[in-house]
Amino acid sequence: MTLRSPIGRARGLGSAKSGMGHHWSTIVTAVGLIPLSLWFVVSIARLAGADHAAFSAWIGQGSNAALMILTIGLVCYHASLGLSMVIEDYVSCKAKKFAGLLATRLIAALLAVGMTVSILKIAVGG
Amino acid sequence: MAAYKIIDHTYDVVVVGAGGAGLRATMGMGAAGFKTACITKVFPTRSHTVAAQGGIGASLGNMAEDNWKWHMYDTVKGSDWLGDQDAIEYMCREAVPAVYELEHFGVPFSRTPEGKIYQRPFGGHMSNFGEKPVQRACAAADRTGHAILHTLYSQSLKHSCEFFVEYFALDLIMENGACRGVMAWNLDDGTLHRFRAHKVVLASGGYGRAYFSCTSAHTCTGDGHGMVARAGLPLQDMEFVQFHPTGIYGSGCLITEGARGEGGILRNSAGERFMERYAPTAKDLASRDVVSRAMTMEIREGRGVGDHNDHIFLHLDHLDPADLELRLPGISETSKIFAGVDVTKQPIPVLPTVHYNMGGIPTNLYGEVLRPTADNPDATVEGLMAIGEAACVSVHGANRLGTNSLLDIVVFGRAAALRAADTLKPGTPHKPLPADSADLAVSRFDRLRNASGSMHTSEIRLAMQKTMQNDAAVFRTSKSLAEGVEKMYEVASTLPQLKINDRSTVWNSDLVEAFELENLMDCALATIVSAEARHESRGAHAHEDYPDRDDVNWQKHTLATVKDGKVSLDYRPVHTYTLTDEVEYIKPQKRVY
Amino acid sequence: MVEFSLPANSRVQTGKSHKAAAGAKNVKTFKIYRYDPDSGSNPRLDSYEIDLDKCGPMVLDALLKIKNEIDSTLTFRRSCREGICGSCAMNIDGSNTLACLKPIEDIKGDAKIYPLPHMPVVKDLVPDLTIPYAQLASVKPWMQTQTPPPPDGERLQSPEEREKLDGMWECILCFCCQTSCPSYWWNGDRYLGPAVLLQAARWIHDSRDEMTGERLDALEDPFKLYRCHTIMNCTKTCPKGLNPAKAIGSIKTKLLQRGV
Ligand SMILES: Cc1cc2nc3c(=O)[nH]c(=O)nc-3n(C[C@H](O)[C@H](O)[C@H](O)COP(=O)(O)OP(=O)(O)OC[C@H]3O[C@@H](n4cnc5c(N)ncnc54)[C@H](O)[C@@H]3O)c2cc1C
Ligand code: SF4
Ligand code: SF4
Ligand code: FES
Repeated sequence: MTLRSPIGRARGLGSAKSGMGHHWSTIVTAVGLIPLSLWFVVSIARLAGADHAAFSAWIGQGSNAALMILTIGLVCYHASLGLSMVIEDYVSCKAKKFAGLLATRLIAALLAVGMTVSILKIAVGG
Repeated sequence: MAAYKIIDHTYDVVVVGAGGAGLRATMGMGAAGFKTACITKVFPTRSHTVAAQGGIGASLGNMAEDNWKWHMYDTVKGSDWLGDQDAIEYMCREAVPAVYELEHFGVPFSRTPEGKIYQRPFGGHMSNFGEKPVQRACAAADRTGHAILHTLYSQSLKHSCEFFVEYFALDLIMENGACRGVMAWNLDDGTLHRFRAHKVVLASGGYGRAYFSCTSAHTCTGDGHGMVARAGLPLQDMEFVQFHPTGIYGSGCLITEGARGEGGILRNSAGERFMERYAPTAKDLASRDVVSRAMTMEIREGRGVGDHNDHIFLHLDHLDPADLELRLPGISETSKIFAGVDVTKQPIPVLPTVHYNMGGIPTNLYGEVLRPTADNPDATVEGLMAIGEAACVSVHGANRLGTNSLLDIVVFGRAAALRAADTLKPGTPHKPLPADSADLAVSRFDRLRNASGSMHTSEIRLAMQKTMQNDAAVFRTSKSLAEGVEKMYEVASTLPQLKINDRSTVWNSDLVEAFELENLMDCALATIVSAEARHESRGAHAHEDYPDRDDVNWQKHTLATVKDGKVSLDYRPVHTYTLTDEVEYIKPQKRVY
Repeated sequence: MVEFSLPANSRVQTGKSHKAAAGAKNVKTFKIYRYDPDSGSNPRLDSYEIDLDKCGPMVLDALLKIKNEIDSTLTFRRSCREGICGSCAMNIDGSNTLACLKPIEDIKGDAKIYPLPHMPVVKDLVPDLTIPYAQLASVKPWMQTQTPPPPDGERLQSPEEREKLDGMWECILCFCCQTSCPSYWWNGDRYLGPAVLLQAARWIHDSRDEMTGERLDALEDPFKLYRCHTIMNCTKTCPKGLNPAKAIGSIKTKLLQRGV
């Protein structure tokens, strides 16, 4: 139960004066991912049945590696934006929410960095 | 009697009602530095002011030359010379700044190409002292009342006014003839509250629901009128009730005159276009009172339509459906929604419908409530004010012009605050209230909450509404009125047999309706008894046996005091002078349009 | 986490049933949510059989008929009976709407009537709307200017500027949209909701108002504004045919315009 005044409750902690950036990033990543996913699907389709060497050679091309890294980065970023939205929507327990948001961001960053390093390794021929 | 816990409050000013009038007064009182509370039985934006459509009258002259003196002339003529001309002068003068003020508050008025407030023509508003129609009604599309009410509410939020929402005001607290406060019931948690105040302002709206068919909301139940009557104070000019010819039968929602303008025809049960008999030239497009009277005659002579032969058909089905679609889309939709009628195929059931109460709590032009005495017809009641449709200033006299009510509520809402600022200092200390201050309200509360008679509120209410509809109608005769008075006394005498089924105190709307019924009953009695006594025809009071206006004997305000279900009458003179010498008193003339 | 099962004290039980008079031909059953705060018992669903031949066309007519003739304890808000005051908002046949504008004949089978969802219930069909009202007040829904208004005239506004307010100023604050919005259900304490954001937009788009930037500042918040995921329930349900989702979109667009 709360005995706080309704207007006090409605005002809450006031405005965070942020959110536009999140919204804009969601739009930018979504828009960016449209051509990138098309490119990715087409490329994978072409490579269907190819062996490891062919695949490595494909990644080894600079432009492919760059696009692949970009795709991974955007996917992870977009996913973390979306997932944090969902967590904010549905998780009301403050501690769980904080942990969830933290985990989302860290895991997304970890995945992005990990995959990027792998690609670079193949591309630079490590 | 059960013991009820009473919660006490002390304010400089308490306003009862949060319609246009109440909100404007609340704001003004707050701005003048008074500790102000506003009590309302519905959330402010749900007040009936929200229903007003056409516009608010002010001689801004945005469309063509206009002058407040012309507006004043039209209002006096509309009032059929029963209005007090000092008050009318004040209202029409103040109209212009009042509308500008509303605009500054943010009312989303429609605009002219130059960006000014758009104004449209309205019945009875003319230029140059009755010469030709002038566009004087300032409009926000066809939702002017909505725009004004919502804006005034937003202003009261800005001023952090204190609201007591869904509190039902029960009774005034009177001591030695002065008003000391008001008792209210919080529907939300069932507690009773005693508000002590230097001034109580009643802004509780009209009492359209005393009739069976009205354009008014369910909440228009004359609660302020009832409180005043129980305090032993008179009600003024209650016989003047405005009817609109075409409200939808049953629901009472309005069908605009435009429907007949486009060729709509009224027919009786024989299918006859009866208006040809009553108004051979103008036919269905005769003026409102003529049409309302003709319809009532047909019904009374047994030529009404429907199961009970108690209404008339408005036919649009002979018109081209494409035209209907083009010119009357709103009417087509309203008829579909509220009469279940497809206007291209079926007639609309309509009935002259109660629309507005010219009468009410008598006040002067400062909003102070009057208790006329033999030697001072303008004596005031200390501590009590009334504004809006609840009050009778009287600016509308025997007949209100369209757009003048929205004007009335803002002008006199503001005037009340100005007057309070002139006569009271914020923070003035209060005397203790008398020991019996809560008795009237609490005893009524307890009696009605435990009422266990044999008749339900809705039964008694229906009997009252039907009686008023039949006998205090558009068109009155000595016989109908005499019968009506007798029947109304009979109906009122059944009140002690009331039965309530809900005994709770939280949101007990069964009990709310019982309180409202008692208030309506006082209004209904005052209306019909005042009407029976007025042996002339003036404005909305059309008396068949006295078809002419009689200025010698009847240019006076009726005062009806309702005590224990009996009405006694008295009169006070109409003010035959103006407020300043900038305009002269407008002498009675024959009223022709 | 969100609770998906109701606490024991809000499980709705079967209540009393009221039969229509013998001889009634055109009978419809209304199943109505009842909750009496005084009794301490769980909410129940009462059923009332109504002879539609003796009843007006709208759901509100049926409710009034029940209150007048069958059970005067039934409690609901109503005032204008023509869809302009916003009192009679409730959940009818699964969607939020105004009882006075909802034709009975549009309902197939039994008519089920509940209060507006996800609001505390005061009694029967009367929800507690304190929080949405306070949220409305929190967006300062009044004209804010620095320039003093002209002393003897109106502020000017072109018809085109005025037209921008259409679709927003007509809102009757019934909160049908507010209480149909899933985002509002889950985060009603922080998300302002469609009705309140529509009002905020009404002032943001008013050419006479001079505090647009401050208004945008106050709304730019992950919860107050950005909980709207354009699910569109609000627009679908608005009984006045308004489009709060679009208005919310327009606020987001204004914020983008300012920041990008
Ligand atoms: C369909 C229709 C169209 C109209 N069109 C126009 C028009 O175009 N132009 C025009 O000028 N006029 C018009 N009118 C008339 C005008 O709308 C009303 O006369 C005016 O709005 C009355 O305002 P008010 O503030 O006095 O009362 P209301 O708006 O009726 O407010 C009454 C207030 O009192 C409160 N109240 C009542 N009883 C109690 C109680 N017991 N305890 C606590 N609170 C209480 C209510 O909650 C409410 O807040 C129209 C009327 C109707 C019916
Ligand atoms: S569009 Fe936004 S406000 Fe409307 S229902 Fe969906 S989330 Fe709620
Ligand atoms: S937008 Fe529509 S549904 Fe929402 S409060 Fe306003 S009128 Fe009601
Ligand atoms: S009663 Fe006013 S909106 Fe339904």
